[in-house]
Amino acid sequence: MSDKFNLSPLDIEQYTLKNGLRVVLNLDDSVPVVALAVYYDVGSRNEREGRTGFAHLFEHMMFQGSENVKKAEHFQYVMKAGGTMNGTTSSERTNYFETLPASELPLALWLESDRMRSLAVTQENLDNQRDAVKEEKRLRYDNQPYGQIFDLISEMIYKNFANSHSTIGSMDDLDDATVEDVQEFFRIYYAPNNAVLVLSGAFETETAKQLIETYFGDIPAQPLPPAIDVEEPREVAANYKEWEDKLAPFPAFLVGWKIPKRRSPEFNALYLAGKLLYDGESSRLYQKLVKGEESVMQLFGFTDERRGPSSIYVGAIPKPEKDLSKIRDIIMTEIKHIAEHGPTADEMQKLHNKLINDTVRLRQSSQSRAQNIAEYALYDGDPTLINTELETLMAVTPEQIRSAANEYLNSENRSLLDVVPAGKG
Amino acid sequence: MAQVSLRTAPRPLAPVPFNIPQAFKTTLENGLRVVIFEDSRLPLVSYRLAFMTGDADDPADSIGLTSAMASLLTEGTENYSSLALAEKIERLGAGLSASSSDDFTILSASTLALYNSEILGLLAEVVFKPTFPETELDLYRRNTVENLKFQRSQPNFLAGEQAARLIYGRHPYSRVSPKAADIEKLTQGKLAEIHRRHFVPNNGILIVVGDIDRESLMAEINEHFGDWQRHEVSHAKVASPVLREKNVLTIVDRPGSAQANIVLANLAIRRDDPDYFAVLVMNQVLGAGASSRVFMNLREEKGYTYGAYTRMDAKRNAGDFEATAEVRTAVTGDSLKEFFYELNRIRDEDVSEAELADAKNYLTGVFPLRAETQEGLTNLIVSQELYGLPDDYLQTYRDHVAAVSVADVRRVAKQNVHPEKIAIVIVGDAGEILPQAKDYASDIEIFDTDGIPKSVESYAAEDGDEAANFAGSWKLSLDFQGQKVPISLTLEQDGASITGKLETVLGNGEITAGKVRGNKLSATANTEIQGQNVDFVINGSLADGALNGTISAAIIPDSLTFTGDREG
Repeated sequence: MSDKFNLSPLDIEQYTLKNGLRVVLNLDDSVPVVALAVYYDVGSRNEREGRTGFAHLFEHMMFQGSENVKKAEHFQYVMKAGGTMNGTTSSERTNYFETLPASELPLALWLESDRMRSLAVTQENLDNQRDAVKEEKRLRYDNQPYGQIFDLISEMIYKNFANSHSTIGSMDDLDDATVEDVQEFFRIYYAPNNAVLVLSGAFETETAKQLIETYFGDIPAQPLPPAIDVEEPREVAANYKEWEDKLAPFPAFLVGWKIPKRRSPEFNALYLAGKLLYDGESSRLYQKLVKGEESVMQLFGFTDERRGPSSIYVGAIPKPEKDLSKIRDIIMTEIKHIAEHGPTADEMQKLHNKLINDTVRLRQSSQSRAQNIAEYALYDGDPTLINTELETLMAVTPEQIRSAANEYLNSENRSLLDVVPAGKG
Repeated sequence: MAQVSLRTAPRPLAPVPFNIPQAFKTTLENGLRVVIFEDSRLPLVSYRLAFMTGDADDPADSIGLTSAMASLLTEGTENYSSLALAEKIERLGAGLSASSSDDFTILSASTLALYNSEILGLLAEVVFKPTFPETELDLYRRNTVENLKFQRSQPNFLAGEQAARLIYGRHPYSRVSPKAADIEKLTQGKLAEIHRRHFVPNNGILIVVGDIDRESLMAEINEHFGDWQRHEVSHAKVASPVLREKNVLTIVDRPGSAQANIVLANLAIRRDDPDYFAVLVMNQVLGAGASSRVFMNLREEKGYTYGAYTRMDAKRNAGDFEATAEVRTAVTGDSLKEFFYELNRIRDEDVSEAELADAKNYLTGVFPLRAETQEGLTNLIVSQELYGLPDDYLQTYRDHVAAVSVADVRRVAKQNVHPEKIAIVIVGDAGEILPQAKDYASDIEIFDTDGIPKSVESYAAEDGDEAANFAGSWKLSLDFQGQKVPISLTLEQDGASITGKLETVLGNGEITAGKVRGNKLSATANTEIQGQNVDFVINGSLADGALNGTISAAIIPDSLTFTGDREG
């Protein structure tokens, strides 16, 4: 059965250019498509007070043109070649990626190298993108029901500023930024020795290596960025906040816990405990709340994986007129049950099959392979973890899940955010 | 390696061919069509069991029946309760669900190859033995009614609802969703009845994509589905929808909306139309993507909107063309002008060779990307089979795109884009929108968000009157929960345009695009309050030198009234 499941390992080759750029190649030519992912080791965790939102502002700046690629052309080049692309920012990193027909590999490398080498950090671009970020904040956070709750609860869970502040950052900080600040940020963090480049899909290895050397080889290395401290105190008390949401049509709540860093044994155990609680229609909370009690319209939960202290969340949008505290009691009762009795044998079997299924599906697209490999390469220094992570998770025992739930979730160490609708009808 | 210039975009490497093998097809004696596509890239299997009946086949007195039946298939069977079934499926790490669209009802399952037999057994269980338990039906009714309420708060839903009505008239495609009253009428008996009538082998097609052994799979398919009895399925005969004769403007009034959701829509090709590829390319040039004409015009050049697009929805019996954008209310008229400019231009002028090449490159380039995952590949095969497209559809897809000419694009634009026979649907503040949009159609109708018609005259009364003079400094008194709160407005007027500022104890706001119609003023003041942007919508009227009106904003539950005079 599932214990005997064998998945052949992905073909992974890694090396480092002279300038420190870490390169990983994952050859898989089943479809003539190639995916490129460039991960820079800079996220909101690198920002200090008074300078928030820079990492994300930069994600915008990276589409504003470089020496040979004019403003907005990046996107046009990719579209016209039949590809897709994007960039995102998290607490941990900023990533840029494109997926293209295999023959367009040189285009992808040229586009990424040109902006790593020669981003156009001008006053005009800065002003322009500051406005774009403000517009994005209005659209995605301020003007969305429940749009701000994850940023709010982060501030409750984390005590260290590096962890607690939002990725979108403070608009005042962005307004204070000068072109010199931004140029300096680019020099420090967008250096080849602060990045990982992953290529996944159909390519000839030798051609790919030559092209990577041609486009990236002569970009100069920079001194390493300043070290950061993301350590957190262990929590000892419950934390509560009420948030008046002008746009929310219904009350809602979000519960969060601070937990150990990603890939630690405790994190892995809690990740699995989370799946048992909220993942899928047979999960404990779905069956109790959406089905049994019929008290919840929407139930959700997830883990926020970080290199430092991480977090796990459970949230719900109850049906009108339902008692929120009763719903929370049911959630805590289920957690307590796991903390006392651990998962059942059936639940362990379900977890194992889900893990296998997730692992296989993640391998289907070249872009999702590239991004996963990039994370292991950047965070753990070992891209081959993509081949062994399933085994690691499968080895987590019911007792480990029980004890981690008991230590981290079945306690007063939780942050609770109540969302109160404050708009009109 | 030869010297490479870093200054210009590199040339592509030699193209890599993309070979999709043809699927294996057979038909069981009872009429069930079976399509098997072996894909051994990864140990996964995907199933689709599709029936050629969908929401459009709902009996007139039972709207929403097919959709409810599909949703409840997995909520209880003769051998499993809803929970037991969810447990069973998730214990395999697999997925099994069902849903309906206008034309089809589709059960989807996906699994690791090692649980292939188990999931096929469960698929058969929900097809043959659903019980539609009363408790689950009850939960479905209540949840769906809540969702329908929520939908009416979404401007996109309101726009889509009106557009479908205007394009499809009496045709069932005109219904985008059932009404709460329809949902209340659903019964267990009706669900079982439509299930019995539509779930017959000669109405179905079973598509399997994945890492399987064909012979043993066929044996299992025969075992589960071979004894299934056929009987005839009747489709209600409905008249085909027809193109409208002239433009119509339909506004859904959503007072206080900061944006106007614009949808321009007309009837267009069916999915099996031989012009499909030409229309695909035409739509790519015109508006399908973020380098298409309408996006470049309305967003990149004019900055009216975050995104503007066109879209083709080609269904089995009819299809439509739509152009859409969410724009700032004040530029609704300007946006319509640019939309109509582009709709006319694609008909009246040839597209350039460069634009044609870019559109075709994009469409041929992304095609293999869509086939990367098994789900993606399965969806491509499902469209080919359900819409009755040729057997070599996937193999020749890119050749068909490449064959489209400049003349083809112009021809299909004339046949499918009708700027003089189009429905203009706009959701937003009707009082603001009407004067900007009224010249685009001779027929005008206005609805509220519940779909109740309103009198157009009540929104147009002041139109044409000379603009009163609002310029100056106004000292106003705002009624806030019985308390009088002072605010002031400083306005400058140029014809019917107003700019100025709003001052309140909470913060000050800028008015950049206010409007005057007759003695009525409407303006939005973008105000920063404690670091948050808040739009105050001001509606006022001038009488005997006094300014009276209301202020509303998302942060205040009801609009507040004010009254006052000019300073000094």
